[in-house]
Amino acid sequence: MPYHPHAQPNFRNMFVRPMWMALKAALRTIPYLGRLPILAAHGTSSPYHAQEATMIDRGTAERLGENHPSVGQTYAADRETSTLVPYIDRPVTVMYPYERLEDLEPWLFVPGNYNGRIGVIWETCTACKACVKACPNSCLHMTTETRVNVLDTASEGDEWHGYGSDLEVGGFAAQRNDVDNSDYDLMTAHDAVAQEYNFGSIIDITGDIATISWNEGGIGEVPTADLSPAEVDIVSGLIDMGRCMFCGLCMESCPFESFFMTNEYDGMSGYSREDLWYDADRTRVLPSVHQERVDLELAKRAEKEQRKRKKAKAKAEA
Amino acid sequence: MGDWFTVRTWAEEFSQMISDNSIGKTSFSDYSDTFVTVMTEGIMAVTVFGIIMATILILLWIERKFFARIMDRRGATMAIRSLWVGEGGEHVDWYDELPFGTGKPLRWLNELLNNTFGSSSEHETVDRVNDRSYHGIWFLLPGLIQNVADGMKFMTKEWMVPAKADKFIFEVAPFIIITSTVMLFAFIPLSSEIYSANPELSLLFLMAIFGIAPLGVFFAGWSSNNKYTLLGGIRSAAQLTAYEIPLLVTVLSVAVISGSLNIIEIVEFQVSSGSWNIFLLPFGAGLFLITMVAEVERIPFDMPEAEAELVEGWWTEYGGMRWGLMFASEYLRCYAACLLFSLFFLGGWEMPFGDSIINIIPNQDLILGAVGVGLIGLALGMRSEYPALLAPLPLVFMSVVPSIAWLLFKSWVMFAVFVWIRASFHRIRTDQILEFGWRWLLPLSLVNLGFAFWLRLAAWDGGEWPLFVPGLITGIAFVVFVILGIDEDTSELEGRTRPYSVYTGDVGPASPRSHEK
Repeated sequence: MPYHPHAQPNFRNMFVRPMWMALKAALRTIPYLGRLPILAAHGTSSPYHAQEATMIDRGTAERLGENHPSVGQTYAADRETSTLVPYIDRPVTVMYPYERLEDLEPWLFVPGNYNGRIGVIWETCTACKACVKACPNSCLHMTTETRVNVLDTASEGDEWHGYGSDLEVGGFAAQRNDVDNSDYDLMTAHDAVAQEYNFGSIIDITGDIATISWNEGGIGEVPTADLSPAEVDIVSGLIDMGRCMFCGLCMESCPFESFFMTNEYDGMSGYSREDLWYDADRTRVLPSVHQERVDLELAKRAEKEQRKRKKAKAKAEA
Repeated sequence: MGDWFTVRTWAEEFSQMISDNSIGKTSFSDYSDTFVTVMTEGIMAVTVFGIIMATILILLWIERKFFARIMDRRGATMAIRSLWVGEGGEHVDWYDELPFGTGKPLRWLNELLNNTFGSSSEHETVDRVNDRSYHGIWFLLPGLIQNVADGMKFMTKEWMVPAKADKFIFEVAPFIIITSTVMLFAFIPLSSEIYSANPELSLLFLMAIFGIAPLGVFFAGWSSNNKYTLLGGIRSAAQLTAYEIPLLVTVLSVAVISGSLNIIEIVEFQVSSGSWNIFLLPFGAGLFLITMVAEVERIPFDMPEAEAELVEGWWTEYGGMRWGLMFASEYLRCYAACLLFSLFFLGGWEMPFGDSIINIIPNQDLILGAVGVGLIGLALGMRSEYPALLAPLPLVFMSVVPSIAWLLFKSWVMFAVFVWIRASFHRIRTDQILEFGWRWLLPLSLVNLGFAFWLRLAAWDGGEWPLFVPGLITGIAFVVFVILGIDEDTSELEGRTRPYSVYTGDVGPASPRSHEK
């Protein structure tokens, strides 16, 4: 057929049909009248209003199992408004923010279906900055710093002594310098507090002497007793949500299961662009909520550690 | 059918009383008549203006709610109730904290709404939400008062003139638009007893004033010194010249068939001749509707505003209460258009079929009463023990409803039609608008005028229309509409091939340079 009967610019298609379709949509929302078959949307057998339906397909039902709260609920596409006058229907509208789609139709919010605002489990983040490199809009601004693990600052006899990391080749080390910050006053100072350590990476450890490549430049040999182990930490995880296009590349690039896009679509508004700069607190996702992810990451790390130790043991034996 | 709502008589009597008791007793009693006239006209002007400004809210409400219904939404619903019910399901029962139990009424209202109209659902969230908002009957009201909130917002907004605008003209343009729009209602009678001014040629005055606002629109568009507003103003000027002429010719046909250029006489002709003009000039009614939609610049003829292309058209640079007033004047013009359609074609303030066509039935009041009793008895029979007591209700209803109510009701229905049109059609192009106006509407309106002349001069015998005349004309119009609706030149369409088809037939699949074979 060389033409479609509804695609011709004649009186019926340009005048009668649009008027009738608009009127039908309005009439469908009227009690009783709205259920007349003549008001059905084009191509359907009956109006969709007030039709009870189970909205979970078989595959989803199998995946959710028997005990999921969504199973067994029959939702009408149009919910009744009143038990007194049950035939007063209302249009299909979710009255956000008083009502939220994920509360009423949770099956739409399968994890991974939807890229919402960014969530980070900062506890498992290793500051590798893979996400920063992956971001095409450069909205991630994570600055890292080498610093001494607080657990390593505990001296012998303290409760947490010995729980810190070890000095190892390829790792970082810090040496206490003679800076004295005791008279530093945050209220009056104009400069940042001075570093109390010199940082460097460990090139080699021979006996009690470590060879350090200092960050300020130069290579020096220092007794290991004078050194504290150091590590790279994220000091600010600023994310400019105003620039984010929710592509999810950061999530894909994260090797540690700690960076992902949540299903949350709310809370991404502000009165200024500055409001959309999220600090770490606003992207923080609690590990307890995402225990699955954290467990996955911990298992991965434990396995790596085990492998390392086994290797070291084999090396020592050999 | 008498109308007890004789506001003008009341105003005259009141003014006369004031005059008799004040200057009538002084040496200025010579000026008593002037005083009475001035005071009566003042009261009537305020009354008409007050009625229009109060009922314009209903228009805005129809615009919101009916359009929302067509779009399968609810429209503004809960503006008011959210003031005393907490958000997100949290009940902030602050009214309990008010001193001396002054918050009790709110609590009672809330409980009444929740207990009577609120629904309970097994689903916790639905239940919570229902507790908060959905209340069957209650959903109607809040959208009405939303307009007041909007108006207050406009009033608090800053007024800025663009730096490079022509400041004087920029300031004057809204005044031209708003004042000429308000002036329209001086000549629109709301009933035979409620009008502000009634000159012999009120129709001419009215249509002349209708043509002033486009000038202000053009001023506003040009003086803003902005390409969008300028384009909007130019489009407005082009469109209005293309549509004013068919509009005036159509209005002229109404004047011809009614034999008067006075609006009140046009309505009275429809009452006395026994048929509304829409049954005599159905075609003219369609033309009037189309040209009026173009005149008030609503979709599909809203080229001057065209949000998708011209930001906000000719009023892009306006803000604050000036924008609010111009917005209101758009709706006032729309209201005027609806009122005029009702006055010209729908019998004005006459109750539908009250005195005219149904006159052929003897004892119509009795029959209507019987039908009313039957319907009400059917509806309430099971609940009421004395349905017979309700028998006079239809008669009481007909005699109590003032005629202005019928006119306003008809114009609201017409506005619903405007909204319906807005929801149904897309905006058409400038050249299409102009071509439609000049090449189709103008000749058709002339044909309509000729038909009106023929009806008035040849078909009318000076009394009432015989039933078959409006019946035949309306029937023919309906048949034409149906034929137009279903007719299709199938053979012509079968022969038509698409200019750019993906099916290349025996040439084979499309490939580079395949069109050269």
